[in-house]
Amino acid sequence: MASEQAEHQSSTASQGVLSELMLRQETTLLAVIVAVGIVATLRNPAFLNPANLTDIARAAVIYFVMGCGASLLMIGGGLDFSVGAVFTLGGIICAWLLVWGAPWPLAVLAGVAAGAAVGYVNSVIIERLHVPPIIATLGTFFIVGGLCVQFTGGEDIVPLPETFQALGQGAVLGVPYIVLYAIALGLLFWFLLEQTPFGVETRALGGNRKAAIANGLKVNRLDTILYVTAGATAGLAGVIYAARVGSGQVAAGGPSVTLSVVTAVLIGGISLLGGLGTITGVAVGALLLSAIDNALIVASVPPQYNSIIIGAILICAVAVDHMRRERLYKRRR
Amino acid sequence: MAIAQPDIPAPALEMRGVGKSFGNVKALSNVDITAGVAEIHAIVGDNGAGKSTTLKIMCGIFRPDQGQLRLGGKSVEIRDASAAHHLGISVVHQDLALVECLDIATNMALGAIPRRGRFRLDRRRMETEAAKVLDDLKIRVGSVRTQIGLLSGGERQIVAIARAVRMDLPIMLLDEPTAALGVRETAHVGEILGELRQQGKAVICISHDMDFVFRNSDSITVMRLGRSVATRRTKDTSRDEIIGLITGAIQGDTASSDPTFA
Repeated sequence: MASEQAEHQSSTASQGVLSELMLRQETTLLAVIVAVGIVATLRNPAFLNPANLTDIARAAVIYFVMGCGASLLMIGGGLDFSVGAVFTLGGIICAWLLVWGAPWPLAVLAGVAAGAAVGYVNSVIIERLHVPPIIATLGTFFIVGGLCVQFTGGEDIVPLPETFQALGQGAVLGVPYIVLYAIALGLLFWFLLEQTPFGVETRALGGNRKAAIANGLKVNRLDTILYVTAGATAGLAGVIYAARVGSGQVAAGGPSVTLSVVTAVLIGGISLLGGLGTITGVAVGALLLSAIDNALIVASVPPQYNSIIIGAILICAVAVDHMRRERLYKRRR
Repeated sequence: MAIAQPDIPAPALEMRGVGKSFGNVKALSNVDITAGVAEIHAIVGDNGAGKSTTLKIMCGIFRPDQGQLRLGGKSVEIRDASAAHHLGISVVHQDLALVECLDIATNMALGAIPRRGRFRLDRRRMETEAAKVLDDLKIRVGSVRTQIGLLSGGERQIVAIARAVRMDLPIMLLDEPTAALGVRETAHVGEILGELRQQGKAVICISHDMDFVFRNSDSITVMRLGRSVATRRTKDTSRDEIIGLITGAIQGDTASSDPTFA
């Protein structure tokens, strides 16, 4: 055991800070973002225009806000496909209350609470009815989507008060408010995941559910909190989107939003198998997705290439991450 | 006139007439086990004899269909692993119950994570405590920040044992604690269990390793086909008798052999 221990120590010592940094998913993703930026700028220098860069950040906010809750859930071993519909629901509930004259803080809270309620329903279906998460959340995705159309009659909810729209459209020193909200939320989720016993227990739950049970963790309670959180952040993203576009749009969410969020989270290094991943990874994944969307438009590339490129990047990101972990473990063993 | 009774401490853990079925399969029937304070009690038996099911009932993972579980003479119902911890039971599971993607210190703290204030994780204390326990037990597995996934099978096993020791509870259950260990590490585990006995803890250990059992245990319960067929003081029995009881070549006791159940 002593010789093995010495071997570990020497191999660990040989890993410099730089090589550890290179091993991180975020570093690779940042390099891809830079590469996307270079190619897009070569085709159209307007890509680097500050207004365009702000647009990229603004679009990334939606993916990131939803991704915070979704990533925490996936780290805990869960999966939520209903977020695309919950996103719509959050915006619609908030907009509907605003149109009826409710003060904006109440409307915002109601949008988030509606998302949290769907998250709770998801957790009940999964834990009590023992429906697999992918099926349960796909089911609620369709139900919530249908209810949104039924509730609105397929019409967008307008007009929203100026004070509410200012929350989504304003900026301070050129930085949009919504980017600041995303940074604050990111810090909160980073704290939860990295600095609290809840974060440790979430990783333990996703890393080895049986071990979590054997160690006395309240796994059902954790599951419920994680699904509620994923629903709440999807609802919040819907509220932010409604403030940004100035209406409660029934077509705001849908399958493409769900898939984009799951893609951003996976590209960001969150493991589908649970346990692994960071909030900074999700931020970079959301930024990459948004940068590609924008670069293809700026570079006048036909839209069908967008999905081809995103699909290829998703497969590469997950495969590269798997190979990197395999190599790391093999070398250290 | 009342007759003065000698002051005999109640057994740390007793199982009496415990039965457990899974559907139509009867896994356990009339299992009696008594583990005393400051004693290493081994449970031996062939594969499928019901040893692991018995241990899982002791630590609240399964609930018995019949029978009683007593701790310190008091009847208890253990609803889950968390309740077992609260009742003073720590466990080393056969599959070790470690989380590969977490480091040694975090794995050792799972279930009782140190906090700073109400919400904050006290990582420094977690690492210091883990390092101290490993150091006290003379276990060398590198930094406590090493991920479990990077450790060998033997190192993982020893970390799982160290985690149970860290909890410092009066009863420790171990399921095949030496399965992945070499000769030297197995002897080391024997020393650790001996120290726990000296501290007055009750250690209940499932093992296939007869050398380990005879070298370290104080008493042995033999299980066969879901029943506890005999309990012997280790110093009063032989390997031949225990193996005979395991295989059925020697008839087990008709009633429980333990006088406390009389």
